[in-house]
Amino acid sequence: MKDTQSNSDILVIGAGIAGIEASLMLSKSDRKVHLVEKTSYTGGTTIKFEDVFSNMECSTCMVAPIQQELLQDKNINLLTLAEVEDVQGSFGNFIVKIHQKARYVDMKNCIGCNACFEPCPVRLKNEFEEGLSERKAIYVPCAGALPNVPMIDTEHCLRFNGKDCHACQEVCMFEAIDFNQKDEQITLTIGAIIVATGYTTFDSRQTPQYGYGKIDDVYTAFEFERLYASNGPTEGKILLKNGKTPKSAALIHCVGRNIKGYCSSVCCMYSLKFNHYLTLKIPEIKISEFYTDLCIPGKSHQKFYEKIRETGTKLIRASDIEITKQGQGIVIKYNDERGKKNSTTVDMVILAPAIVPNGDASKLAKILGVTIDEYGFFKEENQNVSSVVTSKPGVFIVGCSQGPKNIQESVSQAAASVGKILSTY
Amino acid sequence: MIKPAASSEKKGAVLSIKTTIQDSIRNLLKKGMDQGVFDAVLIPMRVPAGDSFSYVLIKDKSLLNNAVALPPIMSVQGAKAVSSVTRLGNGTMKIAAVMRPCEIRATIELTKLDQVHVENMTLISIDCPGVMPILDFIREPEKAIKLFENATKSWDDTIMRPVCQICDKSSMIAGDLHIGTLGTKKDAFFIISNSKKGKDTLEKLDIPLNGNIDSWQIKVKENAEEKQKKRKKTHKDLKTKIGHLDNLLDTFSQCINCHNCMRVCPVCYCRLCYFDSDKVKHPSGEYLRRAKEKGSIRFLPDTTLFHMGRMMHMSLSCVSCGSCEDACPMSIPVAQIFSMVADETQGLFDYVAGRSSGEPLPLKTYKKDELHEVEDAHD
Amino acid sequence: MNRKIGVYICECGPNISEKIDIDKVIEAVRFLNDIVVVERYKLLCSEDGKKYLTEQIKRYGLTHLIIAACSPRDHQLTFMEVCENAGINPYLFQLANIREQCVWITADKEEATKKAIRLTKAAIGRVRCHSPLEKKEMESNPDVLIVGGGIAGIETSLQLAHSDRKIYLVEKTASLGGLIKNFEKTYPEMHPCSISIQQKIETINKTNNIKIFTDSEVEDILGFFGNFEIKVKKNTNEKDSVSFNVGAVVFATGSTLFNPNKTTCYGYGKFDNVLTALEFEKMNLSGEIVLKNNKTPKSVAIIHCVGRTEKGYCSEICCMYSLKFARYLKDKIPDIKVFNFYSDLCIPGKTHQKFYEQTQGKNIDFIRAKNIEIAKKGEHLTITYNDEKSGKNNYDVDMVILSPALEPTADTARLAEFTGISLGDGGFFAEEHEKLGPVSTSSQGVFIAGCSQGPKSIPDTIIQAEAVTGKILSSLIPGKKIEPEVKVSFISESFCIGCKTCLDVCSYGAITFNETKKVSVVNEVICRGCGNCVAACPSGAITLKHFTFNQIYQELKAAIQ
Repeated sequence: MKDTQSNSDILVIGAGIAGIEASLMLSKSDRKVHLVEKTSYTGGTTIKFEDVFSNMECSTCMVAPIQQELLQDKNINLLTLAEVEDVQGSFGNFIVKIHQKARYVDMKNCIGCNACFEPCPVRLKNEFEEGLSERKAIYVPCAGALPNVPMIDTEHCLRFNGKDCHACQEVCMFEAIDFNQKDEQITLTIGAIIVATGYTTFDSRQTPQYGYGKIDDVYTAFEFERLYASNGPTEGKILLKNGKTPKSAALIHCVGRNIKGYCSSVCCMYSLKFNHYLTLKIPEIKISEFYTDLCIPGKSHQKFYEKIRETGTKLIRASDIEITKQGQGIVIKYNDERGKKNSTTVDMVILAPAIVPNGDASKLAKILGVTIDEYGFFKEENQNVSSVVTSKPGVFIVGCSQGPKNIQESVSQAAASVGKILSTY
Repeated sequence: MIKPAASSEKKGAVLSIKTTIQDSIRNLLKKGMDQGVFDAVLIPMRVPAGDSFSYVLIKDKSLLNNAVALPPIMSVQGAKAVSSVTRLGNGTMKIAAVMRPCEIRATIELTKLDQVHVENMTLISIDCPGVMPILDFIREPEKAIKLFENATKSWDDTIMRPVCQICDKSSMIAGDLHIGTLGTKKDAFFIISNSKKGKDTLEKLDIPLNGNIDSWQIKVKENAEEKQKKRKKTHKDLKTKIGHLDNLLDTFSQCINCHNCMRVCPVCYCRLCYFDSDKVKHPSGEYLRRAKEKGSIRFLPDTTLFHMGRMMHMSLSCVSCGSCEDACPMSIPVAQIFSMVADETQGLFDYVAGRSSGEPLPLKTYKKDELHEVEDAHD
Repeated sequence: MNRKIGVYICECGPNISEKIDIDKVIEAVRFLNDIVVVERYKLLCSEDGKKYLTEQIKRYGLTHLIIAACSPRDHQLTFMEVCENAGINPYLFQLANIREQCVWITADKEEATKKAIRLTKAAIGRVRCHSPLEKKEMESNPDVLIVGGGIAGIETSLQLAHSDRKIYLVEKTASLGGLIKNFEKTYPEMHPCSISIQQKIETINKTNNIKIFTDSEVEDILGFFGNFEIKVKKNTNEKDSVSFNVGAVVFATGSTLFNPNKTTCYGYGKFDNVLTALEFEKMNLSGEIVLKNNKTPKSVAIIHCVGRTEKGYCSEICCMYSLKFARYLKDKIPDIKVFNFYSDLCIPGKTHQKFYEQTQGKNIDFIRAKNIEIAKKGEHLTITYNDEKSGKNNYDVDMVILSPALEPTADTARLAEFTGISLGDGGFFAEEHEKLGPVSTSSQGVFIAGCSQGPKSIPDTIIQAEAVTGKILSSLIPGKKIEPEVKVSFISESFCIGCKTCLDVCSYGAITFNETKKVSVVNEVICRGCGNCVAACPSGAITLKHFTFNQIYQELKAAIQ
């Protein structure tokens, strides 16, 4: 498509690992990129992890350099707190309307000193920390979030609910807090769109047999990641709700798999990673890992599994798992490989829930004019032709927005979408 | 690469001494040159003035008559001589080099950093009773030669360098061939092969490897064990003497920074020593500042630093030859100190400098399981 | 040396100005050598601040610039740009971090002030030893060599081919297409795939800018990113060698199947009717599934995970293609009995479980089994195995299909050596970074795609081919010069002892050995400035530009004096 009138700018939706990679690659080819991110920070779900498998590299250390590059890249226009509202036109000439919520903090003046948090009187559960710690109405989601500029949660901020509070503005010496900011409607003309909106996890309350939400110390994967994280709510200390250190733990794979109908491909590996986390922090802990089929494809993954196995952890192929509380302990009833009933008692349970599309995926799909598949993920046209291409020319889908996959595969898809764009026009 | 034969596999031959052991060795080398096994021989020879010995590369085999396989002194470390000949490559000349075990070991160390090339060299060592301190020799050469001869006969090390007196590697075979003079019957000596090259050489010289060298191995083991006991005790005493910083400073306080020790050291291979470079030359303001801070500053500065730095750089390759101590004009016991530290540093890696050319330098190898004692020390 | 150093301390609002006594810092450095001006300013990174700095530089004719402010992570580039625009070489600048590394972590004002003084003095000490460094520019060749004419190589060629870029596609067998040529259908759609691959091959044949070499192998690769010299020779009797230059190299050499000959329990090569997956694909494609005696099989066992223990990894695609085989069999021989013997069912991804569930139908049995042994029983084959539920068991079948692991091809090691890249887990090419760099390697300009990087499915292979395309299109642009790293290593010829230790430790193949001079030489274009060689050099002959001994020594000295 060599239409001289086609616009060479690209819209990337989602500033997670895939969105960042795609944006940086496009910028290197001197393309202007508009990177739209719904939250106030970049890095997506990857920055929730302390380490990544299988080399157990520090996740934030891995992502921080590219986040920094992103923030300083002149070709990339990062729009946080922004969502795509409307898309018209076609490949080479899309007209996109974006709604950007006001941050109420000036991004040029704010230097990230965090002085405004202390005086804020509102305390709320911190969503990034999976509700395990609190934040204020003016906040950054976690230490080290980039861009290092807070936002005001107008739903809970006293001022935006009619009260005359300006505690944060009083302490800011840079005149960075501006209550008069307004939401903006931005219209962009762009040539192609890359959807990199990522995923969320299956709500484990839909599988009551695992006790999530009912029994204390039954955690989801994200909750456990935050517990383990050195910049998390407990600064990395693994503690039960009663403050004690767990002596035993169970890892449950495949939570929600039967309901969703697919294997999320990363959970076996990250459960093994959790196993490693636990033995690192609590060397004497006894771990039972409950799985159905061990899914560890790839040249580097089996040796990680074998390393974990050597620690003497119990790997149990199980079905029909029921988790209940009995006294101080958590009892796990299950059917073992032979079909025999068995049970074990542990202090802590960590669930590995399925990867599911974001709640607003179908809404975005309608706006973009692409289809979603039966599982709610964005639908590729034909994965044996290219899994990033949709039925709408010029709209590409990458990463977990297209289907559950690991970071390496997401990054490959991000690069592939750039390849497709650059080779077309 | 010289692959050492396992000690049980070491094959040898028993040769007879018709006149003296030195003559027998000379004849062997002559035979080698005659048969074209060697084109030249690198071996010590007494200097014309008579008051020293020097390594000579001999092409004219008649000059072999004056060669001395085991001179009383080590004026130049043999590895340095080999280094001069082969640093820039092998050449086509087949050379037989006859040196002491520590000189062979230093040569092997240097091959690991491509500083010598010994593919065309046959390295021949000989049981070593020790080396006399050079000053003792120079005072009265004739008397010294007699003393050394007697010491060799009785294997008595009292007149030798302090490091030689506690050397447990004086019969260690690291090269291609070794001349064994211990545990022999009267008028006989052993020639032992340690590599394919050595084996081939003996074959070419019509020396069948069917001798029984058990008695040599037994005597060598006996000697080594005795020396090891001595070594342990001596090192213990030395540690108490220089263990504290003050003692160390005192020991090196006589140093005049001539860097002789570094210059004669066979494993100090740097083109420009760090301590001769601009990195240790500071503007006068810097010295004034130091003087201000400490009250005064001595010149030439950084003496102990030089020794500690050199130790850090070469300790893993130190073969305890003792040349450094011989070269020190102030008679500082550098060899004794460096040798003791080398035992410890090499011990950390289960490494013995020059023991085998197949053993890579600890500098260049990374093992997941190493240095735990150092790590743990900081917990 | 006529140095004129300007020192500017940023107040950063109350952040710095309230936490330290800036005037004390100014006093402490004002009279040091070479300092011509020391000032404080409210916010240096602001537009006003940058203007102010530019004016100051011009006013005092500064040669070097020191800024004491925030982390270089934030504004190193900003201030380097200010220098460049004002006429100072951007490397004659040093940023002292007195915010994150001082005021933000030191509560006591006096302590913080002392530390800020030290940090500023350290930066001054360092900058005095800085040398100006110039950006380099290099011409680059936009053409690309692709080794391997399978699906990955084909896809990459088609996407990269363009009027201003030549593609050289080298295939060692007689025709393009790779393994896919042998498949009737691909999963999970179960659509016939030979047509699309044929179409792609036809397109390649017609594309002018793609030069195809079949029956050929790469003989040598020399050079570096932007400037590779390639030699290709034909495998036939002609001793013809073709040479050409390219800017990037792609290894798309695919993989081969583990040979079950290496095991004894499956009877491969001993008994008739024991086939590998590839042999079965070919038989299926020919249209007739028959036994050696030409009869139609009544029962087939498909054994998963053949060679998995030996190779030590799961090859990801075998469970799925074993299910595909079950479907092939059922489609062609509706009454046939099919047994899938597996250990763990590996069916990740949104479409695969459905494919599995739909394959589970009448007469397709899935048996989780261990210790599988295959023996001959008359005209049939007997499979003995251990089942978790019922212990030892056996089944008789007519035909056995083995699903072997994927392993790297035989030329992987040779190609890796040419380009200085390493082999990673499983002997496959090592990617630059497990997560963030799956298709690039430690050698810039050398890319890997498809099963040469690790076992993977066709869709994932296509993705990697497209990813390589993206990488090349964004870094090797016709007409655009390459800007190699500025802060690279430099080896002093006179001090190098020729020990080659640096060559061992360089992960980028940036150091070569000059045999005539017997010294090592750094290729400044490939060098990434990691400093490994500087640390490893036993005789201190290597320096890293902008991190020289003196610079670090002076900085440290001023900091701790």
